[in-house]
Amino acid sequence: MTPKNQQAIDRRKPIIDRLKVELIRRLNLPYEPEDLHEDVALLGSGLGLDSLDALEIVLCVENCFQIKIPDGQIAVLRSINTLVDFVLEEQDKGGSTRP
Amino acid sequence: MRTSHLHDFFARAGARFAERRGVEIAASVADSTVEYQRVRDAAALSDASHMQVFRIPEAGAIDALDPLLAGNVARIRYGRLLHTFLADEEGCLAADCYVANNDDEFLLVCESLADDSALRALFMERGAAAGMEDLTDTHSLLSLDGYKAWAVAREIFGSDVLGLPYLSVENCMFDGEKVRLFRAGKTSEFGYLALIGRNQAEALAAALAESAGRQGGGVCGLSIHNDLRLEGRFFNLYAEGAAVRDPLPLGLQWMIDFEKPEFRGQAAIGQRRQAGLRQKIVGVRAPPGQDLAPDQALLEDGREVGRLVAACTSHVLGCRLGLALMDIGGAFAGLSFRLDRPDGPEIATISMPPIMPKSLGVKLDEV
Repeated sequence: MTPKNQQAIDRRKPIIDRLKVELIRRLNLPYEPEDLHEDVALLGSGLGLDSLDALEIVLCVENCFQIKIPDGQIAVLRSINTLVDFVLEEQDKGGSTRP
Repeated sequence: MRTSHLHDFFARAGARFAERRGVEIAASVADSTVEYQRVRDAAALSDASHMQVFRIPEAGAIDALDPLLAGNVARIRYGRLLHTFLADEEGCLAADCYVANNDDEFLLVCESLADDSALRALFMERGAAAGMEDLTDTHSLLSLDGYKAWAVAREIFGSDVLGLPYLSVENCMFDGEKVRLFRAGKTSEFGYLALIGRNQAEALAAALAESAGRQGGGVCGLSIHNDLRLEGRFFNLYAEGAAVRDPLPLGLQWMIDFEKPEFRGQAAIGQRRQAGLRQKIVGVRAPPGQDLAPDQALLEDGREVGRLVAACTSHVLGCRLGLALMDIGGAFAGLSFRLDRPDGPEIATISMPPIMPKSLGVKLDEV
């Protein structure tokens, strides 16, 4: 692994791991963390979560990473990877407390 | 080769035809950019009759289908669809399936890697005694997709269709004929599948195409759906599905009920799940002007770490996108690799889906 790629993985993986565990627990999903592909659609198709679940996801990110997802940011909620991108961007802006 | 009842209709619309897994499809009717924009900006009608359709009375449906399919058929609520798959005994993908619980019947709509006869034999073996019928030859399936597809569906079938949630089914009427209307679609825009008897299929196709034209769209081939699916990160059996076959690296665990007592291929899939993933599919993006094609290698420090299994043009992003089957250690978004050569162009792994479709901004209860 190149140092640049390794650095990117080192930042990304802990956020993915935490999100998967928390989403499974909070949404009572019948899967193990390894079963959740990071690109699987969270709402509608894929996991088929509904609007109440979406609220739970927003709360999950806020509680785990001390980051607020602004209202109407549907794009952020599309997959685990889009959630992770949002967390990383907010951390880069310094708008968060690391978990 | 099976041909569609709508062959002549699409031929008159200028379609070029191609073979896909033993079935003739209307592959394209216009320039790919035009077809793409019909879906992303308006509404487009495609012939989805390549899909195989089975009907089974409700009474025997669960016993016939549940032991075969990876998802839990018994849990499908009235009026809803389950998106799941059929595997072979080795736990490899055989068909991508919608199962609809439509009051007194269950409907099974499949895209398949096997030909018609193999799939028919498998399902009929389980379902014939329960009254299963193969509707593939007696019906046509029309696919209506696009940002304005809801407006077309409303014009043809009435305002009630606006209340259909994603993955649902409703019986509608067209010219005195029953239409099973599925709210589904894999383009990330609004999508509907309309199942109608073959005698009325051309009349319905004409009405849908005319209405789509009024929305700025028109008729569309199936090939552009490959691009639309990948851009929206919807699973495509004919692209990454056929290349990889194993549902686990493809991230299709969400289609599986792991707690079910039985489904076809369960033992093999269970063993691979227990052993852990060694590879995983990841989205990739090429720099502007750089092509991507299936089977190209992704390298890191001169060593192959992945291989492309699907590619498309993203008209929204102005670049080529792809899906690569990566070694698990490098299967993350946000990395960069070299394409084909140690000094090849730099390719980035990305989070999927990479676009925000216009349809996600539409609230149908407010139109």
